Amino acid sequence: MQSRWDIGEPEKPTINEETEQLKSELLTLNMGPQHPATHGVLRIEIKTDSEIVAHAIPHLGYLHRCMEKHCENLDYRGVIPFFDRLDYLASMSQEHTYVMAVEKMLGTEVPRRAELIRIIVLEFQRIASHLMAFGTYALDLGAFSPFLYAFQDREEILRFFEELSGARLLYNYIWVGGVWNDLTDDQVEKMKSFLDRFEENTKTYHELVSMNQIFIQRTANVGVMSLQDCFDYGATGPVLRGAGYKWDLRKQAPYSLYSEFDFDVQVGVGEIGQVGDCWNRFIVRMREVGESIKILRQAFDKLEPGSIMGKVPKIIKLPKGEIYMKTECPRGELGVHLVSEDGGKTPYRLKVKSPCFTHTSMLPRVAPGQMIADFVATVGSIDIVLGEVDR
Amino acid sequence: MLNELASLINKNIPSAKAVASIPEDTKLDGSVTVETSSITEVAKFLRSNTEMPFNVLEVISGVDYLEFIEVNYMFAHFDVNNMRRVTLKVKVTDRVNGSVDTICRIYPAANWQERECFDMFGIKFNHHPDHRRILCPDDWEGFPLRKDYIAAKVYNTMELYPENKMNMADRDFIVRQDMIKKAQGEAATKA
Amino acid sequence: MSTHLHQHSSFKQYFLNLFHAIYTTVKGMYITFSYVWGVKVVSIEYPEVREVLPARARMRLFNDAENCISCTQCAMACPVDCIYIASEKMPEGAEIKKTTSGSPIRLLLTQFTIDTALCCYCGLCTTVCPTECLTHSHDYEFAQYTIDAMKYDYLAPDVRAWRDRIVKA
Repeated sequence: MQSRWDIGEPEKPTINEETEQLKSELLTLNMGPQHPATHGVLRIEIKTDSEIVAHAIPHLGYLHRCMEKHCENLDYRGVIPFFDRLDYLASMSQEHTYVMAVEKMLGTEVPRRAELIRIIVLEFQRIASHLMAFGTYALDLGAFSPFLYAFQDREEILRFFEELSGARLLYNYIWVGGVWNDLTDDQVEKMKSFLDRFEENTKTYHELVSMNQIFIQRTANVGVMSLQDCFDYGATGPVLRGAGYKWDLRKQAPYSLYSEFDFDVQVGVGEIGQVGDCWNRFIVRMREVGESIKILRQAFDKLEPGSIMGKVPKIIKLPKGEIYMKTECPRGELGVHLVSEDGGKTPYRLKVKSPCFTHTSMLPRVAPGQMIADFVATVGSIDIVLGEVDR
Repeated sequence: MLNELASLINKNIPSAKAVASIPEDTKLDGSVTVETSSITEVAKFLRSNTEMPFNVLEVISGVDYLEFIEVNYMFAHFDVNNMRRVTLKVKVTDRVNGSVDTICRIYPAANWQERECFDMFGIKFNHHPDHRRILCPDDWEGFPLRKDYIAAKVYNTMELYPENKMNMADRDFIVRQDMIKKAQGEAATKA
Repeated sequence: MSTHLHQHSSFKQYFLNLFHAIYTTVKGMYITFSYVWGVKVVSIEYPEVREVLPARARMRLFNDAENCISCTQCAMACPVDCIYIASEKMPEGAEIKKTTSGSPIRLLLTQFTIDTALCCYCGLCTTVCPTECLTHSHDYEFAQYTIDAMKYDYLAPDVRAWRDRIVKA
């Protein structure tokens, strides 16, 4: 069977034919590591043909801390603060993935109230992360004020987290077996009233940015990642859903208590532009915020008093074996490959599959043929956090 | 499922010698181990077969067991009705020149994942189009995630933990701390 | 931008786009201008006005040395090893004091230092402390000129002076 997966030479980057006749030289341009549009310390070496990008070669590692090596020397509880620092805009989700891996190996039962509190913080984290994505994406494209609106709402969510866990960004809140602190009724009331206000605000955001013609001109039909590309490169999360594929682990392989919740998986349908372009990826995030609000309201209704910590031994020792656990984080599927020795107090090996790393690897694929301004829009639309790319 | 997959691989690629290992503890993940030399064919088979296809390579994760280094390929099938996942393992025994064939023309996701595996474990991937380090600098020495890795004292004329900048009193404390931990650990195991 | 020129394929489309651009921009401007009147200022003028931190806020660590029983559990739990504890056997004949919770202090604490430059404020040490003497205070303004000054000795004679300032009531 002759298919496109047979071994052959990799696809060469295409170069504009007209300029090829002029025999112009490619100009090397370094975008980053200190560049406002790279969302951190990512360096992208761009070979440009006048204004057109011919190749883009990302150079990673400016934020590399070799956290996987660190974790091999830490006990299972001490790893959690390190997971906070991977994707520092969605720390709760990162903690949750790791904690779930340990809990599954340990066979711990998590109390129902703890699971519900986890879902509440996870969905709030998703909103906060998507708000950040929304704000910085508008900032990338030259609009400043949406960023401030987004931060104003995000600030309130961070305040909830600070009241719950004591920290604004690096929480160490989700623990093996449950959560650290209990949620009080007072806080629930505050969260509910915030959601009502916030739901109104999201409509403003759609008016302000999503449906703005200038924004649409900048993003629609730009940086198209087709469904085939997404599968090839293993893209997940809003990138895959933006390409029109209904894939959300919360729905397809429900973990925690997500099977009890009623929500939709938002996909890009291409009412503006085409599926897989920047606008569709963006709108998937914005609509997911609405789904998160739905989940949160249901979770508040389900909350009932109870214990928030399951039975966990004082020193966690895992059986020999390995596990690969993945959950749906705001940026895509985060996977944890945890290998443990028999009775070891520290992980033998902890590999983090980061969605941002995967999505960054798609940049060389979509960049050729784009204009530089469009490339900035593409990098912004996949919403990378360099702490997670470099680990 | 792993047994079915292993027999399916063996039927189509006899040289793969696929062995499914299913742990007794049902909480843990099982895996399929194949011959190192046949990984390209197995990957091609996994991607293109119709009975049990896997359309996504999620991650490549190396594990150093000192006697050998294991390369774990996590394949998944993203299909709403029929999702599945498998860990495919190959073993590399040569710690100096150990190499695996690349699969980045079958699953383009493997391109960067293999580079990371090379960066961290020093496994060479034959025929890789862009075989460089990815996270560490190009002139870094050693492979950090190997269990026998010792960090270089000097990198690019920069000294690691220079003594004039370290508080040596701290160092003594860390050493003492380790001794305390060791003693307490021994006491805990005795009890 | 130029990659989707087909959107301007006809005159009608061109003017329609123009109209949409102006209309949606005016709409956005309207939202922005509506913030000029009647919207409360949310930012805080920091040095004059200070935020009231939540009760659980995790800021600089503080150890109440009088209640410390030198169990070294905090040092073991710390993922970044920033707590330095040293203790000796109590001298012969010394009276055995008790902590406020009633557990006897059998070891003489000779050093309790925390390197705040290394601390990651995860809070793991405070949760394992059996006498609850190690707590997170609400002091978040402790910038220093040198790294050595970031180390806080909780047995220093002047600890009382700043304890009253930082420890939450």
